[in-house]
Amino acid sequence: MQNASNAPSDAAFEVHRVSKRYGSIVALDDVSLSFPSGSTTALIGSSGSGKSTLLRLLLGLEWPDRGEVTVDGHVLENSQVLALRRRTGYVIQDGGLFPHLTALGNLALLPHHLGWSNERIRERAEALAALTHLPQNILERYPAELSGGQRQRVALMRGLMLNPDALLLDEPLGALDPNVRHELQDQLKSIFEQLGKTVIVVTHDVAEAAWLADRLVLMRSGKVVQDGRLEDLQQRPAHSFVTHFVQAQRTLQRPSA
Amino acid sequence: MKRWMLFALTCLAISPAWSATPVRIGSKEFTESVILGEVARLAARQAGVDAEHKRELGGTTILWSALQHGDIDAYPEYTGTLTHELLKNVAPDADIPTLRTALKPLGIGITDSLGFDDSYAIGMRDDRAAQLGISRISDLLAHPDLRLGLSNEFMDRSDGWPGLRQHYDLPQTQVRGLDHALSYRALTSDAVDAIDLYSTDAEIPYDHLRTLDDDKHYFPHYEAVFLYRLSLAQSSPVFVKALQSLSGRISEDAIRQMNARVKLRGEKETVVAAGFLGVQPDSDGAGFWSRLLQRTLEHLRLVLVSLMAAVLLAVPLGIYASRARRLGHLVMAMTGVLQTIPSLAMFVFMIPLFGIGTWPAIAALFLYSLLPIVRNTYTGLVGIPPDLRESAAALGLPRGVRLRRVELPMALRSILAGIKTAAVINVGTATLGALIGAGGYGQPIVTGIRLDDIGLILEGAVPAALMALVVQGIFEGVEHWLTPRGMKLEARQ
Repeated sequence: MQNASNAPSDAAFEVHRVSKRYGSIVALDDVSLSFPSGSTTALIGSSGSGKSTLLRLLLGLEWPDRGEVTVDGHVLENSQVLALRRRTGYVIQDGGLFPHLTALGNLALLPHHLGWSNERIRERAEALAALTHLPQNILERYPAELSGGQRQRVALMRGLMLNPDALLLDEPLGALDPNVRHELQDQLKSIFEQLGKTVIVVTHDVAEAAWLADRLVLMRSGKVVQDGRLEDLQQRPAHSFVTHFVQAQRTLQRPSA
Repeated sequence: MKRWMLFALTCLAISPAWSATPVRIGSKEFTESVILGEVARLAARQAGVDAEHKRELGGTTILWSALQHGDIDAYPEYTGTLTHELLKNVAPDADIPTLRTALKPLGIGITDSLGFDDSYAIGMRDDRAAQLGISRISDLLAHPDLRLGLSNEFMDRSDGWPGLRQHYDLPQTQVRGLDHALSYRALTSDAVDAIDLYSTDAEIPYDHLRTLDDDKHYFPHYEAVFLYRLSLAQSSPVFVKALQSLSGRISEDAIRQMNARVKLRGEKETVVAAGFLGVQPDSDGAGFWSRLLQRTLEHLRLVLVSLMAAVLLAVPLGIYASRARRLGHLVMAMTGVLQTIPSLAMFVFMIPLFGIGTWPAIAALFLYSLLPIVRNTYTGLVGIPPDLRESAAALGLPRGVRLRRVELPMALRSILAGIKTAAVINVGTATLGALIGAGGYGQPIVTGIRLDDIGLILEGAVPAALMALVVQGIFEGVEHWLTPRGMKLEARQ
């Protein structure tokens, strides 16, 4: 399960030769990747490498110029996008919480639309608050009254409300200060392990990626440079850039590690 | 609660439609016309006909089209206006029987001359004219530097300034358009040297003015008459008879006196007209407070009905504009163009479509309200951070739900601010509604300007200003109350 290439049949998400450009900027250039169901993958690379675009393609938030996106063995079409998004939790940097709703209001948005009772919504929210180590009284607060770490936790809860099959996280800890970040890294890892969902997390931090995921996909200028475990990237770099990228981060990490 | 308010507003909007319709007499926005309108109304009452007088409905165009559309049944007019402005195919010197034949196909009847000729004339201060040696219009040729202040209507009509200038070959270049009621002030305060006036104006003796001799016979006769709808011959023959009985009864001297009593002595048109007919004036009935209440209700109706209609159209337009950017710009450009139409013109444009009275005023205000609301709805929606918009999409909410539960609440503040702007502007602009018979606070303002009565102007202007403040205050309260608490908090780091 750690290597994508040997399990194409039970892949939750798959992209095949996708390219995407915004004007003259190439975001993705002929990328093929497979994300097996139940696996945890980290997409790493510097900003502008195309990792966020890839994530958005998987949710139908963007469409490739060329190539195709396959979800659970079916080519993704516009008509399935709503259902797909409901089966997939999505968390972005800063959380993307709606400022006019309380934390509970944010959590309730989709379940409410699907006809859940208020009791059921609250029960689910309280269970998730326990999972993410948030006190219950946080639920009545507005996003502006929460700390950055609390906002990220609420955003994660929002992604998990419908107990989705997969979680896509785009720099989920990017806006947090180092202490909170470390604490949340630990919690995320344990949550991923407890839930056993397909997880794809985008980050520019190699240490965070290696801590959260077994498989790292390093991207640069819209292409996959290397796909493997941290040891592969360290010991068998596919390109001098891999060493460069990993080393640059390690030297920064060493004093605090 | 909301339903109750809606019901109350609807009643407010349609209530005048319930009352029975008496014969409706119109008048233009100058004193003589209003006096003649009152004379006609009281004569009708004397004959036992229920008649109402819609005073000060603006200029000739408004009255003429209102008569043709049946919004009014009769109004005082002048033969010269008919021959030069309103009827295209009659000779400039056509007599009244000729005019009667020409008007018949239009369904309009004309009385014989009421007994006086109110023709245009050019007037100067007597001392200044004497000093320059001017007594005839031809004498103006020798003084090209004289400043002329001409009423806007006189400036524009073919039998007004353009024709006069051509006829006498006048050299003056300093020509300013003025409201007729203000031109006497401009003349006496030496802001202009000559103005156009009516030969029956009360100010001529009072302000020591000289009317210049029309030595080349340019100005046509302006015999006063009543125009009326021929259909009245069936529906109210008694009224037509009463109107016709006024023919030949009002001499030039009599009308000049009546003008003077109203304009210079501040008597009410009703009192003066009743004195002329030898009947008891019916009291206005309404005291200050009930007058104020009625005007406030009229004004509120104009503002609220137009505003509600505008909200119903402009918010969806703003939403649409934020979705389809290119067409959206077109929508905004169009509402922007509406905004550039001068307000009075906008009111007049509505007359062919809606007649006179409340509805054309509401339609004009409605069009004016669109831009601020469309623009603020658009700005509010476009201003939502893209990552929040995407978060809503990524949740798997359908478009409509995203709009209702996420985007509109976040744009609410901006939308409400747009509605507030429209409402406050509407309160001011609605005062112009008085010129097309919509009533409201504009009524005393129009009368006050005509009679040069500051007190009367304030009777409309002060409540209008107060209403604007109150509307502003209410909307700020509503804004505060409706804005979700989370939107008012500063984000913590």
